[in-house]
Amino acid sequence: MQKSQFMLRKNLVGVFMLLTFCFVLVGVGLGYRTLVQGAELQSKAENTRTRSVTVPANRGTIYDRTGSVLAVSVSTDSVAVNPSQIKDADLPGVAEKLSAILELDYSAVYERLTKNSYFEWIKRRADFEMIDELKAEMQSDKESKTKTLSGVMLVEETQRYYPKVTLAANLLGFAGIDNQGLEGIEYSYDEILKGVDGSIVTEFDSKNNIIQQAIQEYNQPQDGYNIYLTIDENIQYFAERELDNLMNSETPPKAAAVLAMDPKTGAILAWANRPTYDPNNYQQYDSSYRRNMLITDVYEPGSTFKIITASAALDSGAVTVNDRFYDPGYVQVGSAKISCWRDYRPHGSQSFAEIIQNSCNPCFVNLVQRMEEKQKGTFYKYIDAFGFGQITGLGLQGESKGLVINPDRVTTLDMSTMSIGQSIAVTPLQLVTAVSAVANGGILLQPQIIDHITDKDGNMIQEFEKKEVRRVISEDVADTVCLMLENVVTKGTGSRAYVPGYRVGGKSGTAQKPGEGGYVDGKYIASFCAIAPVDDPRVVMLVILDEPSSELYQGGQVAAPVLQLIMADTLRYLGVVSQLQDIKTEKIDFKAEQLTSVPDVRGLTVEEAQKVISVAGLNYQINGSGTYIGSQTPASFSQVAVGTTILLDTIGSTDTDMVTVPDLTGRYVREVAEILNAMGLKVKTEGSGQAYEQSPVPGVRVNRGDVITVYFHNNNSVLPEDNLEEPY
Amino acid sequence: MFDKKILKNLDWVFLLLLALLMTFSFVVLISASSNVVSNPFYYVQRQAIFFGISLVSMTVVALFNYRNLASYSSLAYVVVLLLLLAVLFAPHPSNASTDANRWFYIGTYQLQPSELAKLVFIVVLANYLSRRQDTIHEWRTFWVSLGMAAPFMFLILIEPDLGTTMVFGFMVVVMMWLSGIPRRRMLAMLAIIVLLVGFVFLDLWVATDGFDHMIEELPVPLPMHTYQLNRLIIFINPDMDPLKEGYQIIQSKVAIGSGGMFGKGYGEGSQVQSNFVPYHHTDFIFAVVGEELGFLGALVVLLIYMLLLLRMMRIANQSADLFGSLIVSGIVAMLMFQIFVNIGMTVGIMPITGITMPFFSYGGSSLLFNMTAIGLILSVNMRREIKIF
Repeated sequence: MQKSQFMLRKNLVGVFMLLTFCFVLVGVGLGYRTLVQGAELQSKAENTRTRSVTVPANRGTIYDRTGSVLAVSVSTDSVAVNPSQIKDADLPGVAEKLSAILELDYSAVYERLTKNSYFEWIKRRADFEMIDELKAEMQSDKESKTKTLSGVMLVEETQRYYPKVTLAANLLGFAGIDNQGLEGIEYSYDEILKGVDGSIVTEFDSKNNIIQQAIQEYNQPQDGYNIYLTIDENIQYFAERELDNLMNSETPPKAAAVLAMDPKTGAILAWANRPTYDPNNYQQYDSSYRRNMLITDVYEPGSTFKIITASAALDSGAVTVNDRFYDPGYVQVGSAKISCWRDYRPHGSQSFAEIIQNSCNPCFVNLVQRMEEKQKGTFYKYIDAFGFGQITGLGLQGESKGLVINPDRVTTLDMSTMSIGQSIAVTPLQLVTAVSAVANGGILLQPQIIDHITDKDGNMIQEFEKKEVRRVISEDVADTVCLMLENVVTKGTGSRAYVPGYRVGGKSGTAQKPGEGGYVDGKYIASFCAIAPVDDPRVVMLVILDEPSSELYQGGQVAAPVLQLIMADTLRYLGVVSQLQDIKTEKIDFKAEQLTSVPDVRGLTVEEAQKVISVAGLNYQINGSGTYIGSQTPASFSQVAVGTTILLDTIGSTDTDMVTVPDLTGRYVREVAEILNAMGLKVKTEGSGQAYEQSPVPGVRVNRGDVITVYFHNNNSVLPEDNLEEPY
Repeated sequence: MFDKKILKNLDWVFLLLLALLMTFSFVVLISASSNVVSNPFYYVQRQAIFFGISLVSMTVVALFNYRNLASYSSLAYVVVLLLLLAVLFAPHPSNASTDANRWFYIGTYQLQPSELAKLVFIVVLANYLSRRQDTIHEWRTFWVSLGMAAPFMFLILIEPDLGTTMVFGFMVVVMMWLSGIPRRRMLAMLAIIVLLVGFVFLDLWVATDGFDHMIEELPVPLPMHTYQLNRLIIFINPDMDPLKEGYQIIQSKVAIGSGGMFGKGYGEGSQVQSNFVPYHHTDFIFAVVGEELGFLGALVVLLIYMLLLLRMMRIANQSADLFGSLIVSGIVAMLMFQIFVNIGMTVGIMPITGITMPFFSYGGSSLLFNMTAIGLILSVNMRREIKIF
């Protein structure tokens, strides 16, 4: 006995170990279920016993800045059935009736009615008439107690409606059948617009009975917020009207777009695309019609980019407004030769103002060369500062960064062509944003598409304020470039953008489209970028034509006229006071009378200067009591209105006997003689009428007593015809 | 025949643990059975009556000297064998929830003879093994022990009640192991069992393309019911048939898991109270503990069980004779196996069997015989000082 008891005690250890093992195993299993899988199983538990019916939130409305509705959700009825409620005997009857009223295929309806579920859609967003008919049938069904429509129910759903049809369609985008934003504003701001769906949660037991005292939650839907865009419906309309005219013309471009921005706030005023589509029926359009090309597409800006190059050159201090440039018709960069568009008759010596006015390629290459000589990397510093190669932060999805050659790999030739807007690709939005910085005194702003956001009751949720990104150029430089851009419109390649009565500045651009292995012959992107009015800019506008099909394809020829029409209506709509009373339809003539180039009177005696200024049709104000003129404001060669007062600061003495040749363009023989005499220069005249060319060119420093040859003609058009053509 | 002095031998800690367990058990049952039938206290009241009867049974057995049981051993063996035979032919009432032949139906009560059989067989085998200590190393003792178990196990298996059969098997193995039957023989037997179980799973694996669908035809036919085999398949892959065969185990896992660390609160178990977990007052009562009292509550229950079993092993250890030791050890084996398999099933680490949770699951027979077993243990416990040299 003793021995066997001992044996048992020893063997009990084995049982103890087994017992411990079993409990540890169970404990671990328990811990794994509750602690590791706990959360997952908890939601699984919730799912098995609760059923939630969604109460959809109303999608917010999209307005323009004036409060006009651009996109709104409206209620419609959808037809659904509960197949489990339909008795087998009633099936054919119900299917027949539904297919007849809703104009659907009988077998398709029948199939849905026989599904093993509690809910099946039959037709979503049915037509109003169909719903009316169905309601009447359901009513008579009820009265006669027949079951021809048993299990059929109407579900209220909302549908997105775009009352202005194509207006700003490519910007707005659209929302799909479940009210989810799919493109454009609808997509990018879906979180704000869609709101939070509510629900009715009901708890069921395992036998599908509703548990009365248990969860019966009603989560109220939270309606989406309303968005007020910065877009102005009227300006948008002007833009779209002109684009439609363009697209309906005999020679429409492949695509076209207009972008307008308030340069003082960065607010976008118009955003128009062609081709476009009707967001109410977006399914019927190919995605190419829905492109939002103003941010998704990049293009070589061509000469419009010279605005950036010129601003950079001035701001960096590499050049001054008083510097002279010489155009031999081309410029040699390494082994490559960059020609001027007018290489058959080179521009020769030009002032800074003139190289912009003439859009002279070799001189712009020269600007970059001077910048890089002064400090390597300067040009890139400005390209970067103006925001190229980065997204603008507008907030719309799908914005492209553009293409800027990596600064570590860029060649001198690349930089030379970049100066004239080639070898660089930008989005239209980037360009307009950068030019707005020039227009507003040098500060790059973040473009804004949303003005403010309210809740459904109109309470302010968020207001978007002007957001400064950085100062890019000094205010002086910005203002000077603005005034010089006016020259382009009044005297240079952008004359077709001239809006009578307003001071419009701008620059055309024409870029060959790149294709496989280089540029494609005969395919261009013509554009015009304008600032108006230049003395107090209210609008920066860009018009782009993709592959103009007309014989003319230059920005100045095809984009400028479109811009001119939109800009004219826009400025009037914005209430910009017409600055010049004497409005004539023949604009070239009228310009020559109304605007004049400020002569350089520095170094002249006070009396001489007074005479020169007076003959030029300007007023003056002398500061100081010196004998000579030391400096003047505005600077020489600025285009100012006739009658503008020029401030002259005197100095006691001058160490030079040289004077600067004034711009005599458009003046009559008598005026030319008086001005040159007052400056101590001799004059030689050829022809009669108004001056159209002179030698030496304006801006050249000459000695007193030198002879200036001036050519006159009687042609009303002061500018030679070829001045309007500019292939770049 | 009862000497009052032996009362001082009583293991009060053991009784205290038992009282704690029973209190816990009733508290849980009140919540678990409140939503099964219209009268929320129907099951609690019945269980309370059973508990009263069980207490009487326990006390009587405890006062009775277990050594005297030896003389009734042969008679009891035969009687129980006849009961197990009779239950196979017992009539079913029309509202019976199952067609298994496990119960005698007496009014609204059901008596499960296999519960009695377990207890009786423990005493019979303990008696046999303690008397055969001289020949314990002989093959004859080994085979006779198994031979005595075989008719019981066979009759219970064909009821069918695979779970109780397995409890039987485990009890027999533990008792034989403890009685000193050579280890090599025991290990060889265990190896055969393991191989058999492995073969069943392999057979199923082949038949169901890696437990991917329900059973159709087995490469090697097995003497098991289809539902039993399906439970094994579902144990491996419960998501295969989540609404039918896999429903119980998935719902049980969800209920326990969703309880988390602290549970959803007493009476607040949404899964059990809404009857998503079937049999949550009987087989799956541990799911109620898990869901409503959380991981910590379940751990407390596990701990009480474990302490109780350890206390029983201590009693077995202190027993005056081998007979007493083996009786207590057999009971330990029985309870331990049931606890492990039942809880393992509710948390999803064991296949589903009909094994209930001792002292927790609603059920008269089970409670009565478990308490009677406690009575036996107490009887052994109180008479430990009487030494025979």
